[in-house]
Amino acid sequence: MECLLTRLDEKILSLKKRSKKALVAYLVAGDPDLDSTIELMHGFVDSGVDIIELGVPFTDPIAEGPVIQAAHDRALKNNTSLGKIFSLVKKFREKNHDTPVILMGYMNTFLANAKALKESYFLGTDAVLIVDIPGESNLEDFGINKENLASISLIAPTTSKDRIAKICDSSSGFIYYVTLRGVTGSSHLDINEAEKNIDYISSQTSLPIFAGFGIKTTDDAVNLSKISDGIVIGSSLVQMIHEQSESREYKKIYDYLIEMSEAIS
Amino acid sequence: MDNLTNLPNADGFFGDYGGKFVPETLMYALKELDETYSKLKNDPKFIEEIDQDLVHFVGRPSPLYFAKRLTDHYSGPQIWLKREDLNHTGAHKINNTVGQILLAKAMGKKRIIAETGAGQHGVATATVAARLGLECHIYMGAADVERQSLNVYRIKLLGAKVHAVDSGTATLKDALNEAMRDWVTNIEDTYYIIGSVTGPHPYPMIVRDFNAIVGRELKVQSMELFSQYPDAILACVGGGSNAMGIFYPFLEESNVQLIGVEAAGSGLMSGKHAAPLNDGEPGILHGAKSYLMQDKNGQVVDTHSISAGLDYPGVGPEHSNLKDSGRADYIAVDDNEVLESFHMVTKLEGIMPALETAHAFAALEQVAKNFSSSQHIVINVSGRGDKDINTVATMDGMSLD
Ligand SMILES: Cc1ncc(COP(=O)(O)O)c(C=O)c1O
Repeated sequence: MECLLTRLDEKILSLKKRSKKALVAYLVAGDPDLDSTIELMHGFVDSGVDIIELGVPFTDPIAEGPVIQAAHDRALKNNTSLGKIFSLVKKFREKNHDTPVILMGYMNTFLANAKALKESYFLGTDAVLIVDIPGESNLEDFGINKENLASISLIAPTTSKDRIAKICDSSSGFIYYVTLRGVTGSSHLDINEAEKNIDYISSQTSLPIFAGFGIKTTDDAVNLSKISDGIVIGSSLVQMIHEQSESREYKKIYDYLIEMSEAIS
Repeated sequence: MDNLTNLPNADGFFGDYGGKFVPETLMYALKELDETYSKLKNDPKFIEEIDQDLVHFVGRPSPLYFAKRLTDHYSGPQIWLKREDLNHTGAHKINNTVGQILLAKAMGKKRIIAETGAGQHGVATATVAARLGLECHIYMGAADVERQSLNVYRIKLLGAKVHAVDSGTATLKDALNEAMRDWVTNIEDTYYIIGSVTGPHPYPMIVRDFNAIVGRELKVQSMELFSQYPDAILACVGGGSNAMGIFYPFLEESNVQLIGVEAAGSGLMSGKHAAPLNDGEPGILHGAKSYLMQDKNGQVVDTHSISAGLDYPGVGPEHSNLKDSGRADYIAVDDNEVLESFHMVTKLEGIMPALETAHAFAALEQVAKNFSSSQHIVINVSGRGDKDINTVATMDGMSLD
């Protein structure tokens, strides 16, 4: 064995061993503020979340629906930068060593921090998911040094078979299947189409396939977890975080996650 | 300067710039568009159909007109005007929409969407959609809905729906964001008519090609009227479609100086402007890599310009490549210079330019002195100013209500 398993590989292996579907939770770093983000990340883990997707705010997030857009705006008002997010992950790692953290965002903010991205691995970041680049591209070609970081790509209902093959080839960690035509938080979930596509993708790769975009209810979660290796919950969490941002009382959110986690196991 | 005409490459790059930086859902639509366009652009029937529309619906060719009093005023080079303001709907934008709507038709799309800043592209899109009886939705920043209310009403009269966009800075870039989100959601039946040489490949190429009729006509007309090509061509640059359209056929004519004019807003030093080629860094926005107004964290910064059509933090990728290669020069003029020029051109020539276009005129103050009376400068009069009279009146301290 020449290299150690990464934190993300280990997590995926352990889920597989236990035949457990992954619960991936998305939140926007810096909304309502960075301290709350860390508190929420730990709370998520305690409520059964396996992997955390940390949204990196951008002024022009074209793949996001209104809920996540507004969260990006609030985070930017708090001057949340990628540099601060790296520090946040480092702080998270003081207490947590086994929950993978994925940075999800837009190319321009990563470009502006190309050098620091390499260092971020040593601060505890495990993967990047850049929404607005072709899934088959190699980040190194854009001067982004992602040494040690897994590169997660999206596959959509509209992705052609030849692109699916290319994207699977250049991905690591897992494949993120976008369950609908639309922005985050939409509600056009089509389970039958998702099932067909996920079946096809799994014939092309040994990577696990997680499904996300538009999961709101436990029914959505259960249905999608049956046909995939895990689910991603985003907009509904971001909405709840915002609703609780006055009181900073997050129990309601944790209860929701516990319910989701139990529903899909 | 080799090979600027044969760009973009197959991946959509002009040198370092361009590409397809979009969410995965859109990749298939871009490929479909690229394939359709590649097939149709050399199809004699398609070319004939566009040519007919350009002549009989748009009113082409647009004249090349000698601006005598403006020439006298600067007592330098002869100043000639390429009159895109005389096109149907009042700007160069119709050249692009007439072409793209035929692509939409060929692809069997039933629903048309577009973004607009000044409203000219919105009007030009609603116009061609009306003509083919297609459902049409126009996204427009809420701030622009306010300052271009005349065009908003025109769009509505043409049967299109205007969606005011409140997010972000409520201007052109946010309208583009929202149009992209609509497209991701309605990808199967919707055609997105982008209004400038911006966005992901193949749009910068398609919009340039449809506007290049302007430069091709100019080649013929300048030969007819003064027996040589112009010594310089001036055009305003927002996304850069009118400039690219008039520049492109001249890229290999190295004696023709190409000058793009950006919006310096309250002044380049103030930071409140919309001049990414003068004061920006390469970055990625709306599907392409290009010069961009951004902060050190890669966040896109607010722009300012008196002209809604130039009030955009990015610019078409081909312009970024022309800048780096040195083939074109990009300068900037501020709001005050533009207003002054707007009034002067209106009074001297009886031609009221759009505020966007007035940027190109205002650049004469910097540029004219570098040319002699035997030389010829052509200004691309990208549009007419009727839409801007409310803004101008307000700036002049008058109310029209
Ligand atoms: C008259 C006119 N000129 C110029 C522009 C700027 O666009 P571009 O730089 O693509 O020509 C606009 C945009 O709305 C316009 O209406």
